[in-house]
Amino acid sequence: MSSEEKRDEIAAVVEPVFRGGPLWRRPAGKVLILWVPMTIIGILLALYAPRYLFPADMSVEQEAVKTTFILFTALAAPVAAVVWGIALYSIVGWRKKSGKSDTPPEDGPPIRGGTIATTIWLGTSVILVVVLLVWGMAELSSELAPQQNAMQVNVTGQQWQWTFSYPGTGVTSTKLIVPEGRQINFHVTSEDVTHGFWPVQLGVQIDANPNVTTLISATPNKLGTFDVRCSQICGLNHAYMETTGTTVTQAQFNAWLVSHGASATSVHSYAMSAK
Amino acid sequence: MTITAPLAEDTKLGPKAGGLYRHQNFATGLIVGILSAVIGWVISHALLQDSNWGSDMVVTVTLVSWVVGFNIGIGSFNAIFRWSLGHDEDHEDQLYGAGVGQGWKRYFKFCTDHKVVGTQYLVLVMVLFGVGGTLAMMIRTQLLTPNSQFMSPETYNSIVSIHGMIMIIATIIMVSGPFANFIMPIMIGAKDMAFPRLNALSFWLVVSAVPPILGSFFLGGVPAGWTTYAPLAVQAPPAMDAFAITICTFVLSVTVAGINTLVTVLTMRTKGMTPGRLPIFVWGSIIAGGLGLYAMPAFLMAQSAMITDRVVGTSFYVAMQGGTGWLYENTFWIMGHPEVYVILIPPVGALIEIASTFSRKPVFAYKVMISGIIGIAALSIMVWAHHMFTTGWAPTLADPFMLTTELISIPTGIVFLCMVGTIWRGSIWTRLPMYFLYLFLFNFIVGGITGIYLSDVPVDQYFHGNMFVTAHFHYTLLGGGMIGAAGAVSYWYPKMTGRMLNERIGKTAFWIIAAGIQITYLGQFWEGFQGMPRRVANYAQIFQHANDMSSVGAYILMTGWIVFLYAIISSWRHGVKAPANPWHAKSLEWQTSSPPPLENFLVDPVVTSDPYGYGEDDLAPQRQPQPVSAEAGSTTGGAH
Repeated sequence: MSSEEKRDEIAAVVEPVFRGGPLWRRPAGKVLILWVPMTIIGILLALYAPRYLFPADMSVEQEAVKTTFILFTALAAPVAAVVWGIALYSIVGWRKKSGKSDTPPEDGPPIRGGTIATTIWLGTSVILVVVLLVWGMAELSSELAPQQNAMQVNVTGQQWQWTFSYPGTGVTSTKLIVPEGRQINFHVTSEDVTHGFWPVQLGVQIDANPNVTTLISATPNKLGTFDVRCSQICGLNHAYMETTGTTVTQAQFNAWLVSHGASATSVHSYAMSAK
Repeated sequence: MTITAPLAEDTKLGPKAGGLYRHQNFATGLIVGILSAVIGWVISHALLQDSNWGSDMVVTVTLVSWVVGFNIGIGSFNAIFRWSLGHDEDHEDQLYGAGVGQGWKRYFKFCTDHKVVGTQYLVLVMVLFGVGGTLAMMIRTQLLTPNSQFMSPETYNSIVSIHGMIMIIATIIMVSGPFANFIMPIMIGAKDMAFPRLNALSFWLVVSAVPPILGSFFLGGVPAGWTTYAPLAVQAPPAMDAFAITICTFVLSVTVAGINTLVTVLTMRTKGMTPGRLPIFVWGSIIAGGLGLYAMPAFLMAQSAMITDRVVGTSFYVAMQGGTGWLYENTFWIMGHPEVYVILIPPVGALIEIASTFSRKPVFAYKVMISGIIGIAALSIMVWAHHMFTTGWAPTLADPFMLTTELISIPTGIVFLCMVGTIWRGSIWTRLPMYFLYLFLFNFIVGGITGIYLSDVPVDQYFHGNMFVTAHFHYTLLGGGMIGAAGAVSYWYPKMTGRMLNERIGKTAFWIIAAGIQITYLGQFWEGFQGMPRRVANYAQIFQHANDMSSVGAYILMTGWIVFLYAIISSWRHGVKAPANPWHAKSLEWQTSSPPPLENFLVDPVVTSDPYGYGEDDLAPQRQPQPVSAEAGSTTGGAH
């Protein structure tokens, strides 16, 4: 067989990916038939699984985590389905019967690359990355935006407990009590080693470092209790360094401060403070 | 047809060849190492016991003495001593050093033959995986029930740390050790590595690094995870000194091996082996080697400063004295992220070889693939702070690091394109290595996509420090990296051992491993969603179902690896003799006997094409490889 003939033969093998014959007869079409249901299943999972997987969200931030998770999963599903679709089809469609024999099957077509496939692949991944990035940056900047009625809570980690104090009121507690509906700025530090301050259902976390104060904000929007855990290994009883947090109404919060010895004026000025 | 008569069998050496090497082996290494450690302990104990540096200094001096003593005892520095005395090694000494005429004993000696070093690495990797895997089983057993009393929190924390570090060491060397040493020089038609003694040194340095980290269990335990963040690690028991010495020794080994790989490929390629004809695995090895040269010194620096903080009272990481734990975290992750790709790139390269051989097709988009790997390596040095999104360090850098991290998915996508493009319309030959390629394609998609969630800062604020991260990197490093390494083992096994791997047992192991990975790490994702932190010895009731799933999966996974290990060992002893080229592949390592003779080829091979010319015999005769020796020209012949 001459080189030209062989080239024609290769062209005949390569080109049907994009041209010729009904789509469902071509490998590309068969992969597409696998791809569509896999993508749909992926998107359905993205929409419905998170509500069973995540704990009930109790803050604006945790809602955003869940939304982003759904969006990213929905974007990833078609990508995964392409790879898995081709892999799956290749086993069914192109597997040779000599699979277990000691001699290899006939050589496949010598396709050494494809400009169209590479361009589509690269272009798609660039677009996806841009979408992810723009989404992430927008989300981050909205999270960092200072709110008018923000309130400060100081958090101190030490081996192996959390202490919360409410500046100006003189109240200190090992349980985190926060009011609903306003941004809480957590000013986090540590007395000894690095800890990780993680009010789980509020969907944020930040390390507590000795001699440094780090800052994280969350806006609780549902009443109820949540977990506060340590996310950074901090020695012997790291696993036990947890406490509970409670989101209450502003009125309950003020009453709680007063019941813990804060003066009414300090509570008033604290509750009105914007930091 | 006998392809080659191995040089090792018919070369007679004089009775004095090798000199001191004749009397040195693993046992003398142990003896001198222990003696040296005892002397180090006695001296430091006598001098420093009462000083305020105390036990940390004693442990450091003792263990450094062990590392140096072991390497003197086994002969790592013999040639240097000889040269400093004005002598040189003659040809017979060098042949002895390459293991000629020593049979199985050369595997326990300082042997410069790259094939011996490769085999040594393979066994060491399996031993390390055995140790790390056993520790993993202990972790999963502790986590079977909430408030488990199987281990104390103290023991649990140190097991978590040592499991992590042993596995990191093992995965860094799992492909670069056995295959970049054994196979890579043959692939480029070289007789050996560029620096055979450094090659042996790199192996025995890893061996001498193992006892200190295991000894840490008897020195109070490392309570800080494998990342050993300061200041917790600065305050830790003397076990931390042992840990740091293991790291420093291991970094020396990786550095030496990285330089050796780079120089070998730069200078030792055979005639016609142009950069455009290098197998992807060779590209992967040099890129990973170069990346290791960039990354690992940062770890040496981080852990050296850790030792001085602990032993002589510097305060690099001590906040109360002007230092900062963020310095450690930065230097650690400047090593830590490129290191992930030092682990992953070689197995990916091996899997590309497998994809081409078992699809009977050329690699899809060879140059694009290489650019992809280079892109991954280049980006990987600019993403380290994504491990620090929640530390509070430099919040203004969140956006740039989110950008670089998400950009990595583009070259990673190229790797996938190349793999599925190679499979596309191929003649799929479903031998065992191909199974592992498919498993990689499944697992690495899961690992990669879950990585994208973590690159998004707001989402990371939920998942960081959480079992989700643990599941994510086990999917990439175990589900991707180790599965790639298992593929490489099953692919190159005939070449390395001269026997065929028993595929019936191998495929049984494969299915158990494949199921075990999914059950174990999907369980851990579930724990992560629910909000379970990492590295906890106990957990709340709500996490129990997810933990039970993960633990059961882990037992299944361990069973799978044990079956795979059984396949490796039993085939090594009783397997069917392997032909020179069982896969009918076209790269150079298959054109010589299995296993290859000393110096690999009887005639210097000449290369006229890249090794992927499947289906092109008629189209492009210039792509046919030249015969590489008088009798080894069979590229299509079957068993001999």
